[in-house]
Amino acid sequence: MPTADAFYLATIIVYGAVDAMACLALNVEFGFAGLSNFGFIIFQSIGAYVAAVLSMPNWASSNGGFQQYILGWHLAWPLPWIGAAIAGGLLALPFVFLVGKRLRGDFAAVGLLVSAVLLNVLVKNYMPLFNGDAGISIVPAPLQSLWNPQSLGYQFAYGGLAVVLTIATYFLLKRVTESPFGRSLRAMRDNDIVADSLGKNIRGQRTSMMVLGGAIAGLSGAVLVGFINLWAPGAWGYAETIVLFAAIIVGGAGNHKGAVLGAILVPLGFEEVTRFIPPLSNPTLVPALEWVAIGLLIVLFLWFRPNGILPERRRILSGLPSGAAAPVLTGSDTTDADVLVKLGNIEQIDFRQLLRLGEPVNDHRVILSTHNLTKSFSGVTVVQDVSIEVHQGRLTGLIGPNGAGKSTTLAMLAGTLPSSGGTITYDGRDITSMPSNLRARAGLVRTFQLASEFKKLTVLENLVSAIPNQSGDSLRGALRGKRFWGAEDRANIERAMEMLEGFGLTQYADAYAGSLSGGQRRLVEIMRALLAEPKVLLLDEPMAGVHPNLAHKIGEQLVTMCQAGMTVLMVEHELSIMDAFCDPVIVLAEGKVLAQGTMAELRLKEEVVEAYLVG
Amino acid sequence: MSSFGFGLVSAAVLAIAAVGFTMQFAVTNVLNLAYGSIMINSAFVTYYVNTHAHVTPWVATIGGVATGAIVSWALNRFVFTPFQRRNLPPITIVMVALGMDLIGTFGLQAIVGGSYVSFQQSQGSEYHILGMFLSGLQLTIMGLAVVVLVAIHWLLRYTRLGKAMRATSANPNLARNSGVKTGLVISMTWLISGALSGLAGTVFAMNTGVFEATSAQLYIVMLLAAMFLGGPGQPYGAMLGAVTIGVATEISAAYINPEYKEVIAFLVLIGMLMFRPYGLFGSEKTA
Repeated sequence: MPTADAFYLATIIVYGAVDAMACLALNVEFGFAGLSNFGFIIFQSIGAYVAAVLSMPNWASSNGGFQQYILGWHLAWPLPWIGAAIAGGLLALPFVFLVGKRLRGDFAAVGLLVSAVLLNVLVKNYMPLFNGDAGISIVPAPLQSLWNPQSLGYQFAYGGLAVVLTIATYFLLKRVTESPFGRSLRAMRDNDIVADSLGKNIRGQRTSMMVLGGAIAGLSGAVLVGFINLWAPGAWGYAETIVLFAAIIVGGAGNHKGAVLGAILVPLGFEEVTRFIPPLSNPTLVPALEWVAIGLLIVLFLWFRPNGILPERRRILSGLPSGAAAPVLTGSDTTDADVLVKLGNIEQIDFRQLLRLGEPVNDHRVILSTHNLTKSFSGVTVVQDVSIEVHQGRLTGLIGPNGAGKSTTLAMLAGTLPSSGGTITYDGRDITSMPSNLRARAGLVRTFQLASEFKKLTVLENLVSAIPNQSGDSLRGALRGKRFWGAEDRANIERAMEMLEGFGLTQYADAYAGSLSGGQRRLVEIMRALLAEPKVLLLDEPMAGVHPNLAHKIGEQLVTMCQAGMTVLMVEHELSIMDAFCDPVIVLAEGKVLAQGTMAELRLKEEVVEAYLVG
Repeated sequence: MSSFGFGLVSAAVLAIAAVGFTMQFAVTNVLNLAYGSIMINSAFVTYYVNTHAHVTPWVATIGGVATGAIVSWALNRFVFTPFQRRNLPPITIVMVALGMDLIGTFGLQAIVGGSYVSFQQSQGSEYHILGMFLSGLQLTIMGLAVVVLVAIHWLLRYTRLGKAMRATSANPNLARNSGVKTGLVISMTWLISGALSGLAGTVFAMNTGVFEATSAQLYIVMLLAAMFLGGPGQPYGAMLGAVTIGVATEISAAYINPEYKEVIAFLVLIGMLMFRPYGLFGSEKTA
């Protein structure tokens, strides 16, 4: 091989590794955690800068001080690279406010995009910190005093090191994503409000992924700057982030191999292919067409192949023979009647054991109560001074006409919506201002009126993700590896399989939850809420769309669970369910409590009949 | 005082642009990040009509406005709407919009090249008003903005179409079930807001004097800041936001550093996202 070609090959290896590391990091943020970090490039940029200035001598004393920068500690390799990773991770912290709040995903993304744009403007114009638009040159190559960086051997060794770091990144991130914590990340990606209601700490999960992704991005920047020996802010424009997003969309979001493939095809491929185009009379034409092509790639892939070349793969956890397991459903080829046929043994489930219920307590003390609970939206009061009491071990019903404020009340009890006034007391504690994920951890778990399954988690994953106190369900736990959490996870999977069997859904264990029929999805949601080990279960129309016979079987089981010490508050339109199972029943109308009692008593009350039972 | 005057001109340009931008978001829930590319494409159409047909830029603006209207309508009809029908998360639409922005901006650059151009136009005689020196061109732009804003106010308040737009914005399903032809309303919204983007692009180019294909690429920062200050999807909020941001950026440019003039817009945007993502006057539900 001619020497020039060999040098070129080494360069390509380094560039490819840097792009692959960046895409892997962005993919765990976007493809797994659902964070659209449109400011990603600034994390790579800060890493490169920090690596540069940590390895350079003090600016005033070197080369006559022709360029300005901070630090200048002249540290030996690999300390500057470690510093770069730390800087990338720390940079995530100021942005936590954007991703931690329940800000719409696109609004947060816009905030990050604009941050990247403006930081670039600032850097280009502020001399002392970053030497302005000119950037920094003569950045030392690692170990350059020991080995000539211009030698072919050095260049290939550098490329080899970059590839090793990429492989290490790949396995590190895989360890994180293929763990219970990774499951929680994907649950958050699919529906953050529901994940929150099951006790996941959304802000914590997002922060840890921003920090982890930022650290890897910072390291990738350090690898690049040590090789090309210069740092110019012009090369870190916000549009570079869009190139990386294009790479992930093309390669396959939520798939590590897809991220690497995308990195090779898009940033590396575009950069290198255009080198071979002869210079034209119009110097802007080729770069302009490159950008047009990036734009086209994004739009066309999102339309024709939204999951990329290597789509996220489905996790088969059930251990069932692959032939029998996981039929890929098309939605219409199953009915609730099918489920009903298989609903053989729901009576045989020992829910007390499965749900870790304690000894039954039958003193029926008040476990959950509200005092003058109120909610208004921009001046319109939808719930007004509602004071209710829910007794332990009872199945309390909540009925009322449309717009009575039932779902809003439930949402305030669970913390999904903040209340505008009044107090909520749970288990003797005032929880009015407690975040919803902490309420769920304390045993106050809700379901949703609208379909809320995690669509791109399998049915089994949906269930397992809800089980509390998993030792692999934190970044630290995930990093300790499968040996640390594997046995526990297998036990959890078995528990969930037992539940599935009881509800007659075993054969769908490995199917995506999003592919089930409406009634089946309600069942998944009920099972998931039960596995969250609630003390008080708040159900919002759980039987809507469920076959009536099946609904009655579930109702009977709920009664059994209440006898075993659980408490249920259930919003339901189906009065036959209320008649059969709920006592007492609270009637809401126009945001106020209208009446309370058994269904038989309520049917005798004129105002209730007028407000609801007839209409 | 003169920076305040320049601020008013910037504010006028921004107000025209931001009202169109926020109307698109209000009625179709699309954060159209390709807005800046439509502005600059329209400005170039105006420029070519101006220089090739030898008419004044104001006459040529008709070409720019028509371009903005038609391109925006087509963008929504053939790109955003099909994507929205698939029930994708809003972030996908944002990515599609970013992709379309690259296609629009750099497609234009591939055609017209990278050099700067300017309209064949005089600045008009200078006027001295309330301590501010303003050229005839600047006064015309400000007058135009006032006319546009009054017209939009009239449209939203007093016409059937405007009421239908507000109904569709508040609740598209309810509007459709109440007999509003939401498809037609959406088309009209994109035609009108697109016309505004075309006009905004032209006056933006007139105000900066010289421009090239990527001149409006960062304008989206100003648009977003104006929209979020007033509240996403609130046309009146966007008007007020635009005036505030426009004046504030020019004044900060005069007293701090012209290179940092977008920084104030950035700070406003981040502050709003942090504390009141539904705007100063918006309600919690729109966020």
